[in-house]
Amino acid sequence: MITEHQDELATLHALGLLEGAEKNAFETELAANAELRALTASLGETSAAISLAAPQVVPPAALKARLLAAVDERPEAKILNFPLLNLAPWALVATLAIAATWLGTQYITLRKENANLRSERQLAEVAYKLSQNQLAERSLLAESMINDLGNKLRHNEDLARLKVTALASLAGNTKEAQVIAVWDPEQQTGLLTMEKLPAIADTQDYQIWIVDPAYKNPVNGGVFHISADGKVALAFKPDQPVAQVAAFAISLEKKGGVPKAEGPIVLLGK
Amino acid sequence: MLLVTACPFVPIRIALPRCPSDRPVCMIPAATDQSDDAERGREQARLLAAMARGDKSALARLYDSLSGPLYSLAFRVTNNTADAQDIVQDVFLQMWHKASTYDTGRGSVFGWATTLTRNRAIDRIRLRKRRTEILAESGTDLQPAPFPGEQDSAASLWVQEKAGAVQLALAQLAPDQKQAIELAFFGGLTQAQIATQFNEPLGTIKARIRRGLLKLRETLPARL
Repeated sequence: MITEHQDELATLHALGLLEGAEKNAFETELAANAELRALTASLGETSAAISLAAPQVVPPAALKARLLAAVDERPEAKILNFPLLNLAPWALVATLAIAATWLGTQYITLRKENANLRSERQLAEVAYKLSQNQLAERSLLAESMINDLGNKLRHNEDLARLKVTALASLAGNTKEAQVIAVWDPEQQTGLLTMEKLPAIADTQDYQIWIVDPAYKNPVNGGVFHISADGKVALAFKPDQPVAQVAAFAISLEKKGGVPKAEGPIVLLGK
Repeated sequence: MLLVTACPFVPIRIALPRCPSDRPVCMIPAATDQSDDAERGREQARLLAAMARGDKSALARLYDSLSGPLYSLAFRVTNNTADAQDIVQDVFLQMWHKASTYDTGRGSVFGWATTLTRNRAIDRIRLRKRRTEILAESGTDLQPAPFPGEQDSAASLWVQEKAGAVQLALAQLAPDQKQAIELAFFGGLTQAQIATQFNEPLGTIKARIRRGLLKLRETLPARL
């Protein structure tokens, strides 16, 4: 149903008399109203026919040639005026296809890269573990070497620390005796090795003495008895702390020893 | 208004010219052959489609068909041959480039070309701001020029025939309706300017134009 107002607006529109907001409003209404659109198109044809009322004037013959030449001069305009909107769906499809291809390629590439990275990571983990093991082994080895070195150093220190003294015979029956005393001042212990020391009566004992300038009398290192072969190796420990060993002495004492040397000194070494 | 059927499926509207209300007897041209008009419209649409495919010969043929009335319109509005030539060339170039956008549902090729020509011509005269002077200079005093050497062409005969029908149809309008429509169509005046020209209210002018164009629509064939 076309109202009289719509009819009037369609008429004015056909003659190009609508302007501004009135024109915009009418064209909006036109887009939504098929009947009004048909009426306006029909009135547009009528309006176009009015042009034939103009006195007919002949266009110059050169105008046609000029037009065709202008068409030749601007062939690229065909491209510029191409209905891009008609191609929009195809462009969209092409874009999507290109995008899908690109994404697919990227996916494959990234997947390969991911696989490579995983392999590299696994290799790195293996290498890391190997390195850790090697490091642990080397640590153990180093620790062992350090321990060995320490032991060696300690051994050397021990050797340096130890006081080794050969005791000489002072009595006529002990001329062939070979006695060596080794003293560890840190441990306050000593080792005595003896050969060819004359055997003594069962009622007697040899007694070891350590001469320390800190004491007035030699310090008792214990007693021992020599069997028939004359060989003996024994450890001894003084009954008082010894700060400095000036000499070792062995005396012949009564059985069980004495607190202070009484018998003859048979061996002495400084 | 009669409805006849040229083929079993296509009804064609035929408008019979009538005498102006103030003249009981008048000369009425022979009834237009509506089938020829429809075929001409379809042929122009086919030419435009060929132009959309880059067929330059189609452009030449469409030019032969439409250049006369378009040039006459441009000259009628601008009253300047150089402007008229430029306008016609621009219009055909635009049709060449925009041929693929043409929608037959929105009107005939002739209607489209006429709208393009008129809009360009009115733009020109508005730019020159000499609308009133041009109207005074041209208008009804302008004598139509013949189509030298082309009087027997189909296009010129068609134009002459249709121009006669349109002039007769305009003549059937009341003088104030005819004048208002011509001022709007050829002069490019706005509603308000036409009202000023007539020294009448705007509503009166709108109603006058509406009645005049509707009467023309009843009188003229649906499509030329």
